[in-house]
Amino acid sequence: MDVEHAASDLRKRTLAEIPRSLDRLIYLASMRDYNTGLYYHDGLASQFTQEVACQALADCHREAFGQLVACSLRELVGQMEGYIESTHTSPRDFVSAWKKLEPYRVAVPVETDPVTAQLLFSSFKIALAILEARLASAAPPQPTA
Amino acid sequence: MISLIFFLAVGLILFSSLFFLARRNARPEGGSDELVGARQALSALQAGLLPPNLVQRVFAVEDWDYVCSTTPQTIQEMFMEERKRISLLWIDQVRDQIRSLGRFHRGAARHYAQLNPRMEMELAFRFATLMTACRALHLVVYLAGPYAAPRMVTAMANAAGRACEISEQSLRFLNAAQLGVVSARSAA
Repeated sequence: MDVEHAASDLRKRTLAEIPRSLDRLIYLASMRDYNTGLYYHDGLASQFTQEVACQALADCHREAFGQLVACSLRELVGQMEGYIESTHTSPRDFVSAWKKLEPYRVAVPVETDPVTAQLLFSSFKIALAILEARLASAAPPQPTA
Repeated sequence: MISLIFFLAVGLILFSSLFFLARRNARPEGGSDELVGARQALSALQAGLLPPNLVQRVFAVEDWDYVCSTTPQTIQEMFMEERKRISLLWIDQVRDQIRSLGRFHRGAARHYAQLNPRMEMELAFRFATLMTACRALHLVVYLAGPYAAPRMVTAMANAAGRACEISEQSLRFLNAAQLGVVSARSAA
């Protein structure tokens, strides 16, 4: 019951401010300690307990992941464009870094079904290729000698 | 002398009978490993592989339409290759879990007195049909791509879901508490 309250509190106070499921997924994955797999959120832990906060964050992480998997490719591309804009980095640099580092691979909740995880990774790969192609076609023509 | 041989023969027969009876009853209930494996396969199918939103996403034609209408040929080819890979992975995973569940019902299930033989027969038939359907679908997707047989995908997912429901009913005698004990024992 406490976990539900904590998750609801997290949704209302923090996640409501993050409109896209991609952003929510990345935010929630960043709350997880890669060494232990446990989630930390000081505000939530002080209001409830560390265990309850961890469980609530894990639940919301799974929820955001599920929402992103349910997106069509068109929606995913749109979410990525919005995310790139919010990071204030050059779209070219962003696409290049994401293609090389594949940071979305570490954003998956634990115990995710491997097919679901592979489907999302594959969709990210295609979305990045689409964005790269768009950037290439939008590039100003090179000056000729 | 004849009496001695007679009593020795009777003794030998009785001893052999006792030996075989003892062997047959040595394992009155199935092993916990098989049971935990069956429950895991059931959970992987019901929670991971068969939810309709995942099946729809893997085989979503709208993604293909979007790619065809907005991207160059190279990306279309890449998309088709990726979706084919994911579709085949999905089919193989469903087949593996069905096989694992079927193995439990065929083999270990006879050790559980609570299982209903009629239900087990029905399950055996369903599992055999599903395995054939998985192989056929794998071949179709491999040869013609992920969008070649949408009805077959839906029919297979529905049939697998129904088999899972029957399997779940069949294993219902194990409540969560009992399963916890079994899992703990197998972990130890």
